[in-house]
Formats: sequence, structure tokens, C-alpha cells
Amino acid sequence: MDNPILTLDKGTRCTAWNYSGQRLAAGLADGALAIYDSTDPASSTFSCTSRFKVQESSILRIVWVPPEYGDVVACVTADGTLSLWEEVVEDTEGPQWRLCKCFDRNTSQILDVQFGNNGTCLKLVAAYSDGQVKIYELLDTLELGKWQLQAEFQNVIDLVSKYSNASCLSASISWNPQRSEVQQSNFVLGFNSNIPPLNSAKVWEFDLDHQRWLPVAELSSPEDKNDQVYAVAWAPNIGRPYELIAVATDKEISIWHLGSNPDPDGRLSVQKVAMLSGHGSEVWQMEWDISGMTLASTGSDGVVRLWQSNLNGVWHEQAVLAPAS
Amino acid sequence: MPGVTSDSGELNSLSVVPHSSDTQSPIVYPLRNHGLSPPLIRLSISWARGNTLRVSFLQSEEHNVVGKVVEVKLTNTDGGEITDAQRRRIEYGSVAPFALLQSHKNSSITSLYDKDWWERVMEYSKEISSLLGDSKSSAAPIIGDPKAVLRKMEEPTSLRAAWELLEIFYVDKHCQTWIPERLLDWLADFDCLFSGNQPTVHAKLVAFQEELVTIQAVENDPEYWQAMSSALAVGWLDVVVKLLRLHGSYLFDQLGSREIENGLVEAVALLISQMPRMRPYLLAEKLGESYQTKPEFMKAWEKWRAQITKLDCSAFWLQCDHQKTRDGLKNMLQIMLGNASILSNVTYHWIELYISHFLYIRPFTVGLESMYTLAQKCMNLKPILYRHKLMGLIIGILEENTEVVLAECSRSFGPWMTTHAIELLTAGSIQAETLLHEQQSKLGGICIEELHRLVYAQILSSHALTWNIAAIYLTSCMKQGLGLLENLLYKQPVQHHQVLLKSIEICRLNGLDFVSCNMMKIAGVHYWKHGKKGSAVFWLQQARDELRLNRIAKHLFDFVGKSISDEGFKQWEGMIELLGTESKTAGGLEFLKKYRDFRRSLQQVHEGITTEAAQKAAEALISLMRNPSTPQQFWLPLLHDSLKLLNWKERPLINVSQTNILLNKLQDLSLARLRPGFVETDLPPEALKSIRLALATNLGRAILNE
Repeated sequence: MDNPILTLDKGTRCTAWNYSGQRLAAGLADGALAIYDSTDPASSTFSCTSRFKVQESSILRIVWVPPEYGDVVACVTADGTLSLWEEVVEDTEGPQWRLCKCFDRNTSQILDVQFGNNGTCLKLVAAYSDGQVKIYELLDTLELGKWQLQAEFQNVIDLVSKYSNASCLSASISWNPQRSEVQQSNFVLGFNSNIPPLNSAKVWEFDLDHQRWLPVAELSSPEDKNDQVYAVAWAPNIGRPYELIAVATDKEISIWHLGSNPDPDGRLSVQKVAMLSGHGSEVWQMEWDISGMTLASTGSDGVVRLWQSNLNGVWHEQAVLAPAS
Repeated sequence: MPGVTSDSGELNSLSVVPHSSDTQSPIVYPLRNHGLSPPLIRLSISWARGNTLRVSFLQSEEHNVVGKVVEVKLTNTDGGEITDAQRRRIEYGSVAPFALLQSHKNSSITSLYDKDWWERVMEYSKEISSLLGDSKSSAAPIIGDPKAVLRKMEEPTSLRAAWELLEIFYVDKHCQTWIPERLLDWLADFDCLFSGNQPTVHAKLVAFQEELVTIQAVENDPEYWQAMSSALAVGWLDVVVKLLRLHGSYLFDQLGSREIENGLVEAVALLISQMPRMRPYLLAEKLGESYQTKPEFMKAWEKWRAQITKLDCSAFWLQCDHQKTRDGLKNMLQIMLGNASILSNVTYHWIELYISHFLYIRPFTVGLESMYTLAQKCMNLKPILYRHKLMGLIIGILEENTEVVLAECSRSFGPWMTTHAIELLTAGSIQAETLLHEQQSKLGGICIEELHRLVYAQILSSHALTWNIAAIYLTSCMKQGLGLLENLLYKQPVQHHQVLLKSIEICRLNGLDFVSCNMMKIAGVHYWKHGKKGSAVFWLQQARDELRLNRIAKHLFDFVGKSISDEGFKQWEGMIELLGTESKTAGGLEFLKKYRDFRRSLQQVHEGITTEAAQKAAEALISLMRNPSTPQQFWLPLLHDSLKLLNWKERPLINVSQTNILLNKLQDLSLARLRPGFVETDLPPEALKSIRLALATNLGRAILNE
């Protein structure tokens, strides 16, 4: 029932599928990026169509930019740089990948980067190893080289505190996948760091009136506040009255309901609806399906686990995809 | 898929079981190694179409081997009974009846409880069931070959068996008075399904059929009598009579010596073929006499039973020399007289025993009364060795427990079955209606019916050949269908033209304009970046994306704003032509069309044409310079290109006020130069001077002229 669809080159460090699942970008240890394509929409066979050098150091992470901006990938490399590469056709030559932006390298490394698209503008959130979060905005819809730094903050509820000597191993960002143009853009972010207040997953929302980003919810119970967060995932909402967010810490995967109406302080109500344990160790990645009903997770135990809620609203482990020994 | 869970019996199925939420253990899908050896440094996951998950296996450096990506389909429900192609045929075929039923529902809400609503559902059910296979009875005798007792035919599917069961019990109100007979017909069609793992009457008959050709005198073979008793017990009268006629006493050379024996065989055969049946009609090849009303039937039954008793007590038995015939026939009479222990001996599966009870022990059962108690009794007598997937469903139906029926449909037959069977369950049952249509906050505010449709649509969307029919099911969902449809559409690869057109059509039918706009936007940007500028502008215009169109207009200005002799302009002409029709959507692009016209008339002037043509070109120039959408960066090149018009020898082409406008523009330009963001043209430095001079000269000539 598992069907091999492509073979990755030696030294592949990370992979990412584009929005339609028709292209795969793979980052290699030698700093090269490989693109695999399928020939037609019904086909499930893929072959490498281009391969080019991004950096001298290993590629750690690849993220596709929303398709409204073209075929563009963001690459985070081991030396801490972030660059955007775009596929274009110029003159009579075939498609070429060209560098369209290299973000300035500062002293800290980029741990995660995610793009948020609310119809009219593209935003980029980057989380750094010193605990800083930066948000950039694209200035020109057709030119991915022009970005403006919109905000810079730390992942803390109390906006006054500043932690200068943070050291973070990983970070995870997930935008609200809703595409509505009226709704404000928001995302959830968590760190795995040595500064407990930075760790817990928090929901950030752009406050139009004051033109700034504000934390509107914290997804952790008082006793788990300082737990290191490995991964977060915001579920697609096809019509539920609440949002669904999964947070993986060093203890468990928790599922949260996030209310939509803020209280007078601007905070959104949160409710932890499930505590799921399974991977037993580090969770690498969590992904929701298109209906937001099934959560898939992977971890250092080397298996994929699928989680669902039953008819009584109880979350449970539905299936395990384990490599046959 | 909330509530989707596993069943230990069916490893590969995902199903909804509401009544056993606490003791579930996850299904394990083994992933083959594909030559990879641990340790893996990383697994990476991504959802592809619908319920498909893609897993990347990344290997650590020192192992120096390649990585793999595998695709796992998370639904595989039929356990191999139905091939993929057959399943798709069923999926496609069921769309039309489903959609028709929904539209009937929407057009007449009140008639849902009308007495003829079930007839609509019945039509729907018949259409669906015709997709699931042939309906010919496998126990029908063949006329040609006297020794062929059973007709060989395609193996029926459990799916069809399950569908027919639901139809019998939930939809067909006509058959409520003769359910036992319907069940008998059902078993005749599907008894073979149970043969795989345990003995059944059907299996015994098949085995005997194979032996039959080699047997000389059948009446001496105990198997012969056993096969007939079994067939008689489950009511396959035609088979029994056909077998009886193979009796040796019918042979011409035997007839004289075995007259009495033959008379008894024929008497039993006659009685069997005259058995009264409580049903409105019988198919031509079936035996028995049908009665529509209970009193008539009871009367006929009593008479028939009296005849059997009379035959049983007849003196002729003593004169019958052939012992096997005597015992065999007597045994068959006992079956018809309802001898419980003999019935139990000659049947194998509990459901066969169950049918035999209805036929010979409780012939007057009408409707569902105490059917479940009897089923339990039969199950105690014939314990289930292997639990066939139909069993749970039958028990659920007899228990009259809709929840169990639904759970069994889902567990054993998958989301296609559940989605379509819900229409049968709710036909006229208020209790089922409440259960399935009640909105539940635990499910995020949707009802169970909608949940199943969403789950099914997600499975349809897993395949490139079926994703487009998912829309039909999603639009029948009250609350979350359109949300899922949106997400599904956003995942379509729009750079494939056919996919884009199909998606736009689906959006149009469902009022999802903003989704189709977004898809056209993605396509437009894709084409723009991939050198297909014409298609790009076309799709962006369709998407009414002014932001990007204005941006493209600016881009085009940079190209076309060169001098008139520039060959490059030619390559843009076609594109500007394309922009023409709908260029109102972007102000900047409207300018381009005027500019193109101006360039054409100017070209004619350069080729040395009349004053009249020059006058037209001059008017075009003024109109362009007056138009607020003409970008500033074009002012100077426009004037520079028109020097010949300004210096027209025969007479000034531009009057005083027009010249003043042009001079003002020149003034604005020199002020604009001081502001940031000014775009410097690449004209020679003396260009400005010569324009000023030409304008001044023209002004003088115009004043004189006026």
C-alpha cells in the first residue's frame, strides 16, 4: 500500500512539497537544491528537473512561498542565511532558478521561516537562534527581491521583558491557513530554548489600530509553561466555530481549541482538549490534512502517527505508519 | 475524520464506531524499507491529494545511500473484493442518482415524510444497486442441461449483498409483509459469500453438482438426499424438484418395476412445487404458489400441511422397496412439517437455519416482530466460526439499531457505502433521521450525515480521476462542505490548463468566485514568470487583479517607452492589442493602447504622408498628454518623438492652448525632477532643448496663424 514515488539524491537533508503536491524541493548537505517534477497532474512518478547550488553549507530547511507569488522556495542553510530562489523563463532559454533575495546574515541563525498570505500582501516570519522573531513584508507583488522589516520582537506575553542571552535550538511557526482577506493575519510560534518564558507556544495577531503584533493567546497550562516546544501546527478550518492548533512539547502533543472572540484585554479563550503521547521523544513535524480532521506527526522514534477525534470528541491515536523491520 | 477507527477483523479499514471509543488501538500500516537501513536521520511528511500522505525517508551522511519518498493511501476498505477500476465505476455511477435524490429533497422539504418519499428512495436504491453487479439468482436451475443444478455465474459481492439488505429492511415498504421471503431470495443470491470459510448449503450443492456427473444411480448416494434436504430447508424448491426428477425410478426401463417408488417421489415433488408462499409474486422459474394476503395464505397453508400429513401416513411407504428413497423422502416430509431438529441437521450457517424456521416452523411471521430473538436462538445453535463482514450488519439490522448499522457499514464497506446508505436508513425512519441529522458540537457543529459526506469527499479527492466529483458531495453538506471544497480547489495544480478550467467551472457552479479569482491569479503569475506574458495578462484580467496588472503596466512602460525607431516595440504590440478589450481594469494599461495608436500614426508621418495624417497624429499626442493615466516618464519621449509634428512645415498642427498644455507639462517635469523616485529617460541631453525650441516656435506660428 505504500508506493515509492521518487528516489532522493545522496545527502538529502530536507524536503518540501509545493501547494499542489506536484513539485518537491530537496535540500542537500553540499548546499545544492534539487527540484523534482511530475509530468501531468494524474501521474505519481517524479524526476529531477533541475539542480543548482544555493550555498556552500548544508541546506537545513526549505519552505515554498505561496503560489500567488510564483514558483519560489526559501532556503535556510547551516551558516544561518536565508535566501529566496525563483523559477523564471527569460528569453528563449528554458526555466531557470535564480536568486531573488538573500536576507542579511546577522550574528544569530535562522531556525524556522514561514510565509503568511492574506490576499493582498505576503508576510514572512523568521525565528532566530537568539530568540528574536522578525516579520518582513513584501513590497512588490511581482518582485520577490524587495522586503521591508515590519516588526521585531521576542516570543513573550509580557512585551516589556527582554532576554538578551537566549540560545535556541529550534523554533516552529505555523500561520493560520485561512485565506480570508478580511480577517487579520495571525500565526502561532514556539521555541525550544534555554529561556523558559520564550518557549511556550503563543498566538500572535496583527493589531491594525496600533500597527503592531500582539500576543493574543498562550497555548500552555500553568504547570507546563516552561516546556520546550518542538513543533506547532494550525489546522485548516472548514467551518468550525473555533480554531484547532496542535502543540508538541518534550512531554506530549496537545490539541487546543482557540476561541474567536477576544475578551476585553484582547485575549482569545483557549482550551486544551487532548494530551496525546506516542513518540516518547522529540517530535519533528506535525501536519494537518485538508479538512483539519487528521493530524499526522513524526518524531525521533522514526514512525508516523495519525491522530483523530472520534464521534464523542475524544482524540486518540488512529494509526501508526512504521517502517517494517 | 473524527470517529474513524479500527477493527481488529479488518486490518485495512478505517471506520466509524461510536460505541467502542475507549478500547481502540491504532492500526499499524507497515512501511516497506525500500533498501533503507536505520538509523534514519529524519522522516518528513506531507499530505498530498485527499487522504494520501507522503513520507520522505532521509538517511544519514555516513550510510551514503539515497533517500526515498513513498506515498501511502490511508483508505483501502474493500479488502480486495473490488478492483480500483470497478470502484471508480461505482463512484462515478452513483453521482447522478445521489444528486437527483438531493435535488428532490431540496425541492420539496415537506414531502420527506410523505408516503411516497420512499418510492423515490427506492428508485435511487435500485439505480445504485444496479451498479454493484448482476442480480440473477445463483441457485437457479438451467433448463438445457438436466444435470446442471446450479447456474454458474459471476461471484456476487458483499457490497451488493449489504446494499440489498438495507433496501429490504429500510426502504421497500411493499415488502414489509413478506420480509422472510425477501430474506430467502437474498440468501439464494448471496449464500455463496459465506462459503469461503465455513460449510453452507450452497457449498454442499456445488460439491454435489461436481460429483453428479460420475454417479450412476443417484438415489443410492446419501449425498443426493442430503443435498435435497438442505436445499428444501432453505426454500430452493426448484433445485429440489429438479434433483428429485433425477431419481432412478423415472428411467423408462425402471418405470414398470418401481411404480410405487416413482409415485412417492412424484407426490413429494408435486407437494413441494405447490408449497404456498406468502409473497405477492414469484419469478417464472421459481416454484410454489404465491398468496398476497395472510388469511388466504393461512388457508392454503393448512390445506397443504394436511396433504403432507396425509402422504406421511400413507400405506404406500410400506410398499416402497428402496430404503434410501423411503428414508430420504420421509425426511423431506419432516422438513416440510417443521421438525426443528431435522432442520438444524440439514442447515449449516445460522442464517440458513433462520430462513428454514421462517419457512416451516413460523410461516405466519409478518414484519420484524421477534425476528431478533429468533436470530439469537439460531446463532446459539450454529455458532459463528468466522465472522463474515455481513454478519455485523445483519445483526445490527435485526436489532433495529441504526448506530450499529451505520458503524458496520463504515467499518466493513467504507465511506462510499456509508455516504450512500444513509439515504436508505433515513427513508421514513424518524429515529434514524434524528440520529443522523442532529448537529453535534463534538463534531464541530455538523451532523453525522455531513461528517460521512466530508470523509467520502476527501477520499474521492485522493485520486486525480475522481476529485472533481467530490464537489457534488461537498455541496450537499450544509455547513462545512464549501470550506473543504475551497481547500480542495486551492490544492489543484492550476498551471495545467484542463485542471484550471475544470476548477473554474466548479467555482462558478458553487458561487466560489473568490476562489476562482485566486486560482486565476496563481495561473497568471505562473505564466508571467514563465515567459507567457499574454496568458499571464489574460488570467490576471480574468482575476481582476488590479494590483498585479498595474505592476505589469509599469513593467511594460519600461519596455515601450523607448524611441520610435526601437524595434523592441513591435514585440509588445500584440500584447497591447490583447490588453485592449478589457484594459479598463487597469488604468495604466488603457494608456498603452492609446500609445500604440499614436505610434502607428506617427510611423505614417515618418514615412512621409499628408498633412491630414499629421494632424491626426497631433491630436493623438494632445489626447495622450491630457490623459491623467499617461505616466510621467513618457512625457518627454512622447514630445521628442513628435518633434516632426511640432515643426510641421505646411502649417502649425497644434493651436495656442494646446501648446500651452504641452509647455505646462514640460514645466511640471522640471519640478518633478527634484522629487525622489523620478525616472530619468535615456534621451540625449539636447532633447529637452530641442523640444523647448520646437514648442516655442510652434507657439509663435500658432499665434500668428490665429
